Amino acid sequence: MKNVRIWFKKDLECRYISHLDLNRTMLRALHKSRIPVWHTEGFNPHPFATFPLPLSLGFRGVNECMDVKLEDENYSFEEITSKLNACLPKGLRVFNVTEPVMKAGKIAYASFTMRISEDKTPSSEICGSLERLMSKDKIEVEKKSKRGLKTVDIRQGIKSFEVKQMLDCAVLEVVLSAGSSDNVNPNLLVTALEAETGLEYTLDITRNDLYNSDMELFR
Amino acid sequence: MVSKEIEKLLLKVQKPGRYVGGELNEVIKNKKDVDVRFAFCFPDTYEVGMSHLGMKILYSLFNSVDYIWCERVFAPWLDMEELMVKNNIPLYALESGDPVSDFDFIGFTLQYELSFTNMLNMLKLSGIPLKSCDRTGLKNIVVAGGPNTCNPEPIADFVDIFFIGEGEEVDLEVIELFRECRAQGCDKSEFLRRAAQIEGVYVPSLYEVSYNDDGTIKSFTPKENAPAVIHKRIMKNMDESYYPDKFVVPMIEIVHDRVVQEMFRGCVRGCRFCQAGFIYRPVREKSVDAIDSQCHLLCENTGYDEVSLSSLSSSDYTQIVPLLEKVNKWAKEEKVSMSLPSLRVDGFSDDIMNRIKTVRKSGLTFAPEAGSQRMRDVINKNVHKDELIQTCSTAFSGGWTTIKLYFMIGLPTETLDDVAEIAHLGQAVVDEYYRTPNRAKGKSVKVTLSTSSFVPKPFTPFQWEPQDTIPVLHEKQLHLKDSITTKKINYNYHDADTSFVEAVFARGDRKLCKAMELACERGMHFDGWNDCFSLEKWLEVFRDSGIDPAFYANRRRSFDEILPWDHIDCGVTKSFLIKECKKAYQNTTTPHCRLHCSGCGAAKYGEGVCFEKRKNLV
Repeated sequence: MKNVRIWFKKDLECRYISHLDLNRTMLRALHKSRIPVWHTEGFNPHPFATFPLPLSLGFRGVNECMDVKLEDENYSFEEITSKLNACLPKGLRVFNVTEPVMKAGKIAYASFTMRISEDKTPSSEICGSLERLMSKDKIEVEKKSKRGLKTVDIRQGIKSFEVKQMLDCAVLEVVLSAGSSDNVNPNLLVTALEAETGLEYTLDITRNDLYNSDMELFR
Repeated sequence: MVSKEIEKLLLKVQKPGRYVGGELNEVIKNKKDVDVRFAFCFPDTYEVGMSHLGMKILYSLFNSVDYIWCERVFAPWLDMEELMVKNNIPLYALESGDPVSDFDFIGFTLQYELSFTNMLNMLKLSGIPLKSCDRTGLKNIVVAGGPNTCNPEPIADFVDIFFIGEGEEVDLEVIELFRECRAQGCDKSEFLRRAAQIEGVYVPSLYEVSYNDDGTIKSFTPKENAPAVIHKRIMKNMDESYYPDKFVVPMIEIVHDRVVQEMFRGCVRGCRFCQAGFIYRPVREKSVDAIDSQCHLLCENTGYDEVSLSSLSSSDYTQIVPLLEKVNKWAKEEKVSMSLPSLRVDGFSDDIMNRIKTVRKSGLTFAPEAGSQRMRDVINKNVHKDELIQTCSTAFSGGWTTIKLYFMIGLPTETLDDVAEIAHLGQAVVDEYYRTPNRAKGKSVKVTLSTSSFVPKPFTPFQWEPQDTIPVLHEKQLHLKDSITTKKINYNYHDADTSFVEAVFARGDRKLCKAMELACERGMHFDGWNDCFSLEKWLEVFRDSGIDPAFYANRRRSFDEILPWDHIDCGVTKSFLIKECKKAYQNTTTPHCRLHCSGCGAAKYGEGVCFEKRKNLV
């Protein structure tokens, strides 16, 4: 048995499916591909796959990963890539297969590119609002949890950021806390921005890379 | 493929995966390379429509023809519809993202009466005139098929062409005729005139209806050489009939998220309330080899790990055990599980149980349909209490502890005592559990009784029957509830209000088109969903369009009345249905096709069960 990490992009139509749907789609593709991955035992055996860090519905992901166990240790990584791609919808593309170096629990940060626009607001103005928001000491937003709404300060979860002005949108490049303990969903930043300006923005968010606590690339 | 304008809306709605396409096995063609574009519209949500087998078959079949590109369209859910209207985005097809108004054909499949409003709403969202007479050019031809077309009259004003019966052949013939007509520069009316000459095609605009003073039909007259009776089409050889080797594999979870494999069409039983049991006659089976290889291929091409063997009554497949044996040979190794929906009470043997249990233990559901033996004889269910108890005992020894039983209330001749018998039957099942020695240890039994309200349907022996009024149905529901004395029985019932409106449209005539149009104007849609259905709104619509709904739902027809669907020939004769109706009044059953031919008329197709060797004749 060998652990492998399958790297893929989630884009196009697949951007609009939830993590649960992604999971189902991946399992079905693994089943169809006949790649010798380990299956769960019991009444409904199915391929076993875990996702180090789920991606929210609506986000593009350019460096996403999924871990499976290979039963045939000599099975080639190239074959996994080509077989899986033949079984996946076009919005999901496998581009690399590696042996995992870090455990999923090591993930501490994630970088995002957020394109933010609003039909009637020039991008320079959005950039201004963004700069003002990001320079605050505290960014408080209401967050839905299992126990209802609670107010949290997400400022501490922003590792670094850069605001760029484009012709048709404002771009926020941002590194946020990620992982099982202090995850900050970039949508919360937009919620905070919308609370400040009273506008409703159109978003295009891409998750780029995952990092450990020393800002080393997650591998 | 969706436009930027649509993408802006997607993050504001629930389940945006419904509106984007892009699934594995979707068919993308270059629109410059095709002659005919067909928008296959399912008048319900993506999750419901994508579960429908007929759509999968026709989608693949149409796309197997080089000159046709068939795309899928579903009804947007309320949140998406609201945003689309607000932002002036017309209804679009998932594959190309092109508006429905760009298509040559706009085809609907009509599976239940309460989806009629969604059909009209989808035309409205497409910006296409609702009425056939307001669409003048040779484009946007609105066609419809599916079981509801056996009485198409309530929507006759809106649809250009109805396909009567099974669509695999007739649809392609009409599409081919369209292509020819366009090449010859014909206008729409000439195309429709010529289409009406194809068997199985009903062009409602070519018929005139007149009414008596009491609202019943006086005459139904064809014009321009259209046939007086429209005969349904069927596929005679099921093994040779087209079956897809691929399904579009949805990325979001749908209602039936698995491979659906058809075993046979029709049903030998002839339960007197069941429209499907009559309109799909005669029973035509696929061979074990065909079923096995078709579902194996589908598993390979989709990645599904579950196959549902579909039919109206699974255990009536003559080769069910050899089939399960054959499929299990590869299914086990490939980790694919089998499910058998629509099992009859008397068809659940140890043999079948062991074969479906090897892979998955699903819940068990049976449909005795009525509580008392007299009532079951009236509806010709041909199931005895002892058989049900025996079946439950088999299931309990096999480890099952949960059983669901479906019934109908409001059946013809039903009394309150018959209704109370439903509760007694549930109690007998509970008692049987505690009598079964090798039941699951330490577990309690749960029996769910579920009732729906009987809706009389065309082409059944009960097509002349009045439906119970809503107050009577409520009384029966309460009486049943009061007759249950144990907490081990759970009772739930289907709302009587929707059944009432369903009954109006099921046996409606063309006068209802006005009500349909008004309902659409008032924004009514998704009437099959509790979120949307409102009896008050419907009563207002009926009142404002001068319709008495009780005339359609609660009136007893005489055998000699001209029924709105009399010009449609579904294969069974009216005299047979009358005979069956009279037998029902005498509590007399009719044996199923394999025991004895009752001469329903379906033998005229020269195929299927009518020509099988009967065991008692060998």
